Amino acid sequence: MAYSEKVIEHAENPRNVGTLDKNDPNVGTGLVGAPACGDVMRLQIRVGDNGVIEDAKFKTFGCGSAIASSSLATEWIKGKTIDEAETIKNVDIVNELNLPPVKIHCSVLAEDAIKTAIADYRRKKEARTA
Amino acid sequence: MWVRPFVHDVTAVTERVFTSLGWVTAMNPFEVLGLPAVFALDLKAVEKRHRELSRTLHPDKFVGAGASERRHALGKAVEANEAFRVVRDPVARAEALLRLAGAAVGEGAEPTAAPEFLMEVMEWREALAEARATRDGAAVATLAREVGGRAQASEAILAAAFVGRAPDRAQLELARIQLAALRFYRRFLEEVAAIEEAWQDEAAP
Repeated sequence: MAYSEKVIEHAENPRNVGTLDKNDPNVGTGLVGAPACGDVMRLQIRVGDNGVIEDAKFKTFGCGSAIASSSLATEWIKGKTIDEAETIKNVDIVNELNLPPVKIHCSVLAEDAIKTAIADYRRKKEARTA
Repeated sequence: MWVRPFVHDVTAVTERVFTSLGWVTAMNPFEVLGLPAVFALDLKAVEKRHRELSRTLHPDKFVGAGASERRHALGKAVEANEAFRVVRDPVARAEALLRLAGAAVGEGAEPTAAPEFLMEVMEWREALAEARATRDGAAVATLAREVGGRAQASEAILAAAFVGRAPDRAQLELARIQLAALRFYRRFLEEVAAIEEAWQDEAAP
């Protein structure tokens, strides 16, 4: 199967690979797995007091499409508020990367990772203010 | 352009067409190979059974036969190959057994992995990447042993769930969870195999 140029570009030069301190109260971590293929993806956000995502990092063990999807996701959410980031849909990733049908689950994984990271951040914040 | 293919090519093409139509999911791979529908199978015996079946169905044996008989044999040969592909692989075999038991299998039907489990898998994958980068063969072997042990434990539970009679609801649920975990273990072990192969290739003169 041929990868699109954008997938290859992201897979060869992934943006924002790395780790944020998961114990930092301003960091939300989203860890998701693809049950159909056994790959894992971690996406982390650091959120400022104004609700803007200041930094995003990811680590993905999976195929080129999974790496590209998470790489693109971190690029997109940086500088957005968490509410804006939450509206990103997997189809946006599919369209941007020209993912074929068999790789759609990679974009679903990236969307889930964003949502899980945001939920984790919110949970931490609520625990602090409660 | 349509080139008249050789008999072997016909097999390949037919196989692809059938697979893309999802036709193969409808067959019972155990029945095709004349095996009991259980998880714990002697793979050497399975391989022998498949080889024998393939020999009797080989196109060379049907050179003088009529067109419909040849077609029938070809269809059976394709079916036997597909059944063997399913039965020899623990994940595909468990999927087939779940389907036979009436459980939904495939994307969207998989149980969601617990965060603790995913964290463990992530740590293994990171440790493996680190071991690869530092060329630490002992660390790779240790990880492979640990994950391999977990895969074996999952397979043992699947073996207990599928013994030839319909599993009850609790067994079925347990089997679905173990199969989901097994996919992560197998994926990890594939990665180990890829690393070992790459190192071997480098070491080759």
